[in-house]
Amino acid sequence: MRILSFTFILCLLAAISYGQKEQKKKVVPKRTDNFIRMRGLRLGADLTRPFQDYWTKGNRYGSEFSADMELWPNWFPVFETGWEAMKIKSSYIDYSGSGTYSRLGFDYNMLQAMTKKDKDLFFVGFRYGFAVAHQQVNSYQLDSYWPASGHLGTQNFTAHWGEFMLGLKGEMLHNFYMGWTIRGKIMIDKKNLEIPSVYFIPGYGKADKSFTLDFTYSMYYNIPWDFRKKKTIPEKKH
Amino acid sequence: MKQLLYLICFLLVVTACKEEFEAPPKALVQLTLLNSSTKGTISAKTTVLGKGQTTPWINDSTVSKILLPLSSNESTCFRVSFDSKVDTITFYHSTTLKYASMESGFYNEYKLRSIVNTHNRIDSIQIRDSLITTNWHENIKLYLHPLSAGSN
Repeated sequence: MRILSFTFILCLLAAISYGQKEQKKKVVPKRTDNFIRMRGLRLGADLTRPFQDYWTKGNRYGSEFSADMELWPNWFPVFETGWEAMKIKSSYIDYSGSGTYSRLGFDYNMLQAMTKKDKDLFFVGFRYGFAVAHQQVNSYQLDSYWPASGHLGTQNFTAHWGEFMLGLKGEMLHNFYMGWTIRGKIMIDKKNLEIPSVYFIPGYGKADKSFTLDFTYSMYYNIPWDFRKKKTIPEKKH
Repeated sequence: MKQLLYLICFLLVVTACKEEFEAPPKALVQLTLLNSSTKGTISAKTTVLGKGQTTPWINDSTVSKILLPLSSNESTCFRVSFDSKVDTITFYHSTTLKYASMESGFYNEYKLRSIVNTHNRIDSIQIRDSLITTNWHENIKLYLHPLSAGSN
């Protein structure tokens, strides 16, 4: 995770320094793709959520779905929602936590389209995320000469955080997309519980970390329903 | 195909390694053994057995400092043998459950209220610091009668 964080920060610094160089040149070409390239609503499912157990300590799994649309040229408001659970079972503790989360934000496409059929995206995005969840220590065992054990009741909590991300979406087949994001998540606030404190926040990760990194890999389908009223262009009188 | 195999191997290694959980920390009460005449530190062949336990905490070890575990109850009683002279020490304490992490679990911290003991080898007990935490430090000075003139 440290290597990932370091790489992410390095990429960020490189991007900033590149941006500064560009600023000096003062050459900002105007976008020529000022048009809606994706009509309708795009629905997606994150393929990585059920398999988080492979790279997370403890048994973490869940599911996540998303919806986005190109409301303005290159601007995509996004809604993501999901459910996640975390279980830890060791000699000393049996913990379970789960809950739902949602994120609201937008993506901005930086990849200039050559034609109206060019629907691939390279984007930066921001999300505001919030979770409603609960956790429970089903049993614990003290590591002591004097055997002692106990359990703690269900604790309900909420949390909210911000996310910024970098990602790709490519149209693999007509209206079918695949894509990934790398996300940095910054904790805004969470409920302070007495004992134990919040351990796992669905959609965010470990609660004791003020910054977490995550990645997603999703499949999308664009429902080709154009909600916009087609503008009728009046014919020119000669 | 080769890269996929590498990825599967990597995931297997990660999966195999990740479920290592540490034990929770322990708060132990530390006693320093002192000669009641000279007030200097002494060593004694020590055996410590908790009341109701079958396995001794310390078994025939020559020590000058003892770390003892307290129970989750309001009192903890030990049968202590110093150079074959047996005493009992009962610690009266309050217990607070503490949270280390969800990966290691919970532990107790204690505050000593009083100590009651027999006086076969033990001369007196002085509480230096009543707070018993995972940061082990001297909590009690235990003054023992010297075995014979000139010993220790």
